[in-house]
Amino acid sequence: MNPNLNLWLIPLLPLAGAAINGFWGKKSSRNAVTAVALFFSGAAFAMALLVALRFSSLALPYHEFFAHWIRSGNFTADFSFYLDQLSLVMLLVVTGVGFLIHIYSVGYMWDDPSYYRFFSYLNLFMFFMLTLVLADNYLLMFIGWEGVGLASYLLIGFWFTKDSAASAGKKAFIVNRIGDFGFLIALFLLIKHFGSLNFDRVFGSVMPLGVETAGAGLLTAIGILLMVGACGKSAQIPLYIWLPDAMEGPTPVSALIHAATMVTAGVYMVSRSHVIFERAPIALTVVAIIGTLTAFFAATIGIAQTDIKKVLAYSTVSQLGYMFMACGAGAFSAGIFHLMTHAFFKGLLFLGAGSVIHAVGGEQDMRKMGGLKSFIPWTFLTMGIATLAIAGIPPLAGFWSKDEILWKAYQASPVYWAIGVITAFITSFYMFRLLYMTFFGDYHGAQVDEHGHGSHGHASHGNDDHGHGSPHESPMVMLVPLMILAVLSLVGGLVGIGDRFENFLAPVFGAREVAEAGSRRTELLLMGISVAVAVLGERLANLLYYKRPELPQRIADSLDGLYEAVVHKYYIDELYAAIFVKPLIDGSTRILWQGVDRNIIDAAVNDAGDVARQASDEVRHMQSGNIRSYAGWVAAGAAAVIAFMIWMGVR
Amino acid sequence: MIAALVQAFSRVLPQSADYIRVLPEIVLSIFGMVVMVLEPLLDEQQSQKILGLIGLLGSLAGLGATWFMSLSPGMAFWNTVQVDGFSVFFHVLVIAIAGIVILSSYEYMSVQRIRAGEYYALILFGTVGMALMSSAIELVLIFIALEISSISSYVLVGFRRHEASSAEASLKYFLLGSFATAFFLYGVALMFGATGSTNINEISKVLQAGQIPLLAFAAVALMFVGLGFKVAAAPFHIWTPDVYEGAPAPIVGLMSTGPKAAAFAVLLRIVFVVNVPGRLWLVWISAALSMTLGNVGALVQNNVKRLLAYSSIAHAGYLLMAFAATPALGASAAMFYTAAYAAMNLGAFAIVSHFANAGERSVSLEDYEGLGRSSPLLAATLTIFLLSLIGIPMTGGFFAKFYVFSAAVKANLIWLTIIGVLNSGIGAYYYLRIIVVMYMRESRKEVPVTPVPLSLRVAIAFCLAATIYLGIFPGGALRYAQDSAQQMVQQAAPDIPASRPASTTPATL
Amino acid sequence: MNNDALSPIILSLVTFLPLAGGLLLMLFPRRDRDIRIFALVITLLTFVLSLHLPVHFQRSHIDFQYQIDKQWVTTPNIHYHMGIDGISLWLIVLTTFLTPLCVLISWTSIHERAKEFFILLLILETALIGVFTALDLFLFYFFWEATLIPMALLIGIFGHERKVYAAVKFFMYTMIASVFMLAAILWLYAHTGSFDFVVVRDQIMRGAVPQFPAAAQWLFLGFFLAFAVKVPLFPFHTWLPDAHVEAPTAGSVLLAGVLLKMGTYGLLRFNLGLFPEQARHNAWWVMTLALIGIIYGALVAMVQPNMKKLIAYSSVSHLGFVVLGIFSFTQAGLNGAMFVMLAHGISTGGLFMLAGVLHERRHTYEISEFGGLASPLPVYAATYLVIVLASVGLPLMNGFIGEFLVLSGAFQDRAVYGILAATGVIWSAVYLLWMYQRVFYGKVTHTVNNSLSDLSGFEKIAIWPCAAVALLMGVAPIMWLGAIDPAVQAALTPFTRVASRMVGQ
Repeated sequence: MNPNLNLWLIPLLPLAGAAINGFWGKKSSRNAVTAVALFFSGAAFAMALLVALRFSSLALPYHEFFAHWIRSGNFTADFSFYLDQLSLVMLLVVTGVGFLIHIYSVGYMWDDPSYYRFFSYLNLFMFFMLTLVLADNYLLMFIGWEGVGLASYLLIGFWFTKDSAASAGKKAFIVNRIGDFGFLIALFLLIKHFGSLNFDRVFGSVMPLGVETAGAGLLTAIGILLMVGACGKSAQIPLYIWLPDAMEGPTPVSALIHAATMVTAGVYMVSRSHVIFERAPIALTVVAIIGTLTAFFAATIGIAQTDIKKVLAYSTVSQLGYMFMACGAGAFSAGIFHLMTHAFFKGLLFLGAGSVIHAVGGEQDMRKMGGLKSFIPWTFLTMGIATLAIAGIPPLAGFWSKDEILWKAYQASPVYWAIGVITAFITSFYMFRLLYMTFFGDYHGAQVDEHGHGSHGHASHGNDDHGHGSPHESPMVMLVPLMILAVLSLVGGLVGIGDRFENFLAPVFGAREVAEAGSRRTELLLMGISVAVAVLGERLANLLYYKRPELPQRIADSLDGLYEAVVHKYYIDELYAAIFVKPLIDGSTRILWQGVDRNIIDAAVNDAGDVARQASDEVRHMQSGNIRSYAGWVAAGAAAVIAFMIWMGVR
Repeated sequence: MIAALVQAFSRVLPQSADYIRVLPEIVLSIFGMVVMVLEPLLDEQQSQKILGLIGLLGSLAGLGATWFMSLSPGMAFWNTVQVDGFSVFFHVLVIAIAGIVILSSYEYMSVQRIRAGEYYALILFGTVGMALMSSAIELVLIFIALEISSISSYVLVGFRRHEASSAEASLKYFLLGSFATAFFLYGVALMFGATGSTNINEISKVLQAGQIPLLAFAAVALMFVGLGFKVAAAPFHIWTPDVYEGAPAPIVGLMSTGPKAAAFAVLLRIVFVVNVPGRLWLVWISAALSMTLGNVGALVQNNVKRLLAYSSIAHAGYLLMAFAATPALGASAAMFYTAAYAAMNLGAFAIVSHFANAGERSVSLEDYEGLGRSSPLLAATLTIFLLSLIGIPMTGGFFAKFYVFSAAVKANLIWLTIIGVLNSGIGAYYYLRIIVVMYMRESRKEVPVTPVPLSLRVAIAFCLAATIYLGIFPGGALRYAQDSAQQMVQQAAPDIPASRPASTTPATL
Repeated sequence: MNNDALSPIILSLVTFLPLAGGLLLMLFPRRDRDIRIFALVITLLTFVLSLHLPVHFQRSHIDFQYQIDKQWVTTPNIHYHMGIDGISLWLIVLTTFLTPLCVLISWTSIHERAKEFFILLLILETALIGVFTALDLFLFYFFWEATLIPMALLIGIFGHERKVYAAVKFFMYTMIASVFMLAAILWLYAHTGSFDFVVVRDQIMRGAVPQFPAAAQWLFLGFFLAFAVKVPLFPFHTWLPDAHVEAPTAGSVLLAGVLLKMGTYGLLRFNLGLFPEQARHNAWWVMTLALIGIIYGALVAMVQPNMKKLIAYSSVSHLGFVVLGIFSFTQAGLNGAMFVMLAHGISTGGLFMLAGVLHERRHTYEISEFGGLASPLPVYAATYLVIVLASVGLPLMNGFIGEFLVLSGAFQDRAVYGILAATGVIWSAVYLLWMYQRVFYGKVTHTVNNSLSDLSGFEKIAIWPCAAVALLMGVAPIMWLGAIDPAVQAALTPFTRVASRMVGQ
């Protein structure tokens, strides 16, 4: 029988860290806070590694009951954990990357006044994220699901005195809630039809059901609703709008939550539910289409962004699109593979960006950078690697995973593949654009220390301290994580060679069909094409942003309509505001509150009161005080009574 | 031992039992006369206290006599007077009322500088009339009793001599009152014509024997007019607000409870013993009308006395609901109601008359502002009386309403009940207004708050005790009422279907 | 083990201890400090005593426990009959839990006429507990009405600007509505000869009540109206915002925390308990009203410029969930409804206390008066955030469990209702987080707010328990559901019967 792995410790350790820092961090020193934060996140990582070591000896999937949670009639949901190859991968990614980013943050956040709060939140996020990946039922997963949303809300709004930050946090939470709405309905459907949310029970009862070829059915509905949830969490069309704004948060947060881990939760959830999706082709198609569109759409926006983090944000959205494309194509393992590699290089990119911002004193506009490679060589080097990786240059990590996806997408439908390839080209273009604008050419930045204050105000993350004006390399504590991630981005993809990664996940997703020789050749061809477009993209960027920096402006002017649209993200936010937000608020104010509540219901009540008062006045006026009239009243009354009684008698 | 004493009496002089059966009336009259006689002999200063004291003693003695009377139930004076649980109940009630009114008059008289004398005597004489009304079963006697109580109250209403309003009220009350009693007299005459008797028991026998002559209906109608006037039931309520406003506050307390109770007693006997035909709808309409007019009329009143006048109309309406129910239940419910209503209303008026001050200047709502602060205890007490009038649990008023309503429901008078409960809901508003101004508004003008004299304290305490007692342990009073009601109804033949058949459940409340 | 000794009298003890305290308080001299301390002691004692209930509660038994049944009035046949099951159990504890906190939160804020204040508070507590313990219809009505006066006085005497209007509105709304319940109760008594809930219920179930089928619908409506106003169910809710805005903090806490639950409790106990078939037949429009309440309340809350009004409307929305759950007639739905009742009591109670804290410092509830408070008042902001999250229904907080169960129950019963109601999870996030942002985030807009003092000791011990319990209820709902679940199952048995009968037809 399985040994007890005490999985419950893995999420609970960071929680303890969060609690300690949350309650006592304010009074304790930065070093103490650092120690707590690093220890508990590190411990979680260590335990994850332990689990990985003993993994081969386990009978999978591994269950661990921790405590009862909800019991209502015959519906139950418990705190119990579930471990298989899929959750192991997630576990390692989350704890590993998470730990690195914790380390990085020590340097990045050191001078922030509420240093302790940051780490408390960060640990809290780890707790929820680990609950999410280790849950053995949808409801526990939902805890993590909403919990990471909370953490991201707190961390995006970390510099809450900035209104933009506060709003961004709120926006993120609410948009996520919209997704969660779909998720919830899916859960209700599961409960209604399978009476449980436990993975084994649910999948057990789904297995026998046939594939819904005949069109939409229960599973299709569930699948699509789950996808709605995923759209919210993983920033897919139409709910991606929150992610770019989320860049208001400190950069390590962007790296950890909005690139490496949280945003991939949707991919994880969909893959986890593959049993359902595999039986709901329509749902799968929906996933694929959403993924593909998002990938392309976000990439195009990425071209015109000048804020370094915004570029990365859209690139993240686009990459997530790839993952869903894979899932939609039924290649869940490919999706997860890309999820992992993406965690490496995108995390690295963000941390690098952070290092850059740190170097130039809080500036995020790439137009004010340039020529930094000489100032901050390490950052340049590592970011360069990451860029190559994401662009899909072999043999770096990104190449393997993206290629895998494109290949699977091709098998599903060449259309996906085509769009995927175009996206790949755009990706490589805007990434290199970023690289060139930031590190090459000559420095356009102003004196740093002014920028340290000014533009960022409270958000002056640890760069007001240096008097000298020139950009400067980050401290070791920040560079080491960069290097480690760089290494991972270099070699991380190799695990995918010869489908090793896929085979590893096979017990979860089912064995892959052996590709016959013919398709082998096509695969190589496609591989070539994608490499070609990557290089092409690099060349173009090199031309536009290195050799002839004046060109872009001219191009922009030549097709300004489109360009404007792209710069303004196709006005999606404005659109949403116009058709959802404003009508809702106005309607609630004018129609519901002032209309129904005040002018109808309350008015009716008050009118009733007035009517009563008027009636009262009438009655009062019967009292004329004039005795004759009184006598008249009495006589009249008497007459009436007598008449009535006589009538009664006659009847 | 007492019984032996009674025996002894009867041996000494025949018919002594008869006298015992009207003993309370005799005692009260004697005390009344004593007051009259003493009044000129005493000088102004002492007369107040002494005469009042005598009056009080008179009512106490009256209660004692009632107890004595209750020991020898039965007919007296050629079946004109009947001593039964019913009459005893009302004797106790009206005499107690008289006592309390006298107590609460003490201070009032001195404040208003009214020469005492006949005041107390009139109260006692009036009480004699009321008492007699409840025990008389001979319509003519009832008429006489009615007149005795009425005439004394006519005078009492006008007692604030130097107030024009008082005199006016007195005159109105007198004219309209005699107008109404005339109706009653006609009713008696017609009833005699219809049945050849003026004895209630006889009448009921006759009516139940054969089919009912049209005259009887007319007679009932006329009598109802007379009594309806006394109990201020719509459409004969019209006089109430003016008279209540003009009359001295303690007397309003008296009028709104004593004569009312007595008149209801008569009405009960006539309606239930005679079990007059077609009473149901007559009462139904009158009840609904009274409740609604009373409550609606009170909504915007700013003069507390007028407000309570309307409220008394409304309460007459609730009470009348009982008359539409089945005899046993209806009668007992009505009896309980009169008692509870007497307690809370007397209490309320006692406090009102205290706040009223010289010349009854402070009787408008504004004068009650901030009383919750300036005299918390009195305010709290008044609040309890008002809550009782609203019909909030823990108070007699609640059970009073409750019994009446459930009696009505038992008789399947669902709609009347709905009207009733709705009215008690709406009615809450104007009582609440008084509470609101007392507690939730700061007083704008300075109202002198005089300390409460002992006499008044006793009166209020008694009313308070009664109200709360009836609110928590209503069982005893109700059981008594039920027994006597049963007994009273038994005298007539069992219930004829003038009232709809009650539902199949036990005929107790 | 004094369990056996205590159990028979425990209910009377818990119910009337506060009243006794209140009466004693009347004799106190007007030394506010002593009065406060005494009130606190009494309420705490009541709380401790009330803990006896869950501790010795037999979760397996579905019938009423700790019963006490004595003749009170022989005619009519009124009994002093008290007893609790898993449904009333936690509502009582909720009441006794919140009242001491009310005393604490009023510690400094009530400086004049403190004596009256605490007397009323104690009387109110007795009435509230009585409502949940009474098993005699008459006794129930008795306590039901008894809650009215102290609450109205609390609002009217200690309230803010438009206190009188609010107090009278509150009083009249509930008064007029509840007389219909009285009429219904009287009808039942007239036709069963008993006020005893259990007896009446059994007679109805046996079909032994004459003319019942004809009257049942009207009786149902009679009870329903009284409860619907209390809940308050759309469109009977307009008294609530006024009452809340004007009421003193403690008043709001008890009003939202407990008084509203009287309505939902009544629906559950009487409308379902006595008239299952009518409940079934009327479910569709009741659920519709509840649904409207959920969305309508949330939307209106969203645009409120006044913090307390916002919370008040959010109560309308939350209580809509409760009614929805109750009338879904599903295990999950009813469990959820019960849980939402408790959760809402805790979290909204907490919110009102927090609002009160702010009002005490700035004498306004206008959201626009604040902004950026997180910097000057970190502890306050953090506490507020926790409560807000509980109210938003974040998993691992109390709000989530209840809403989830209610929604899944409603979904099982009528999918559309479940789906529409589920939008509530979005709305609650919208209006609460928006409010939170406007109050706490951004720069400090009014310089006065810079000098505000953070939570005082009393305020902390008043509010933090709410936060702690909110968390506990989210992490270990099993502790509550353990007792609720069987009771709910019992409450649902007639419906399974009705359902089968309706299938039969």
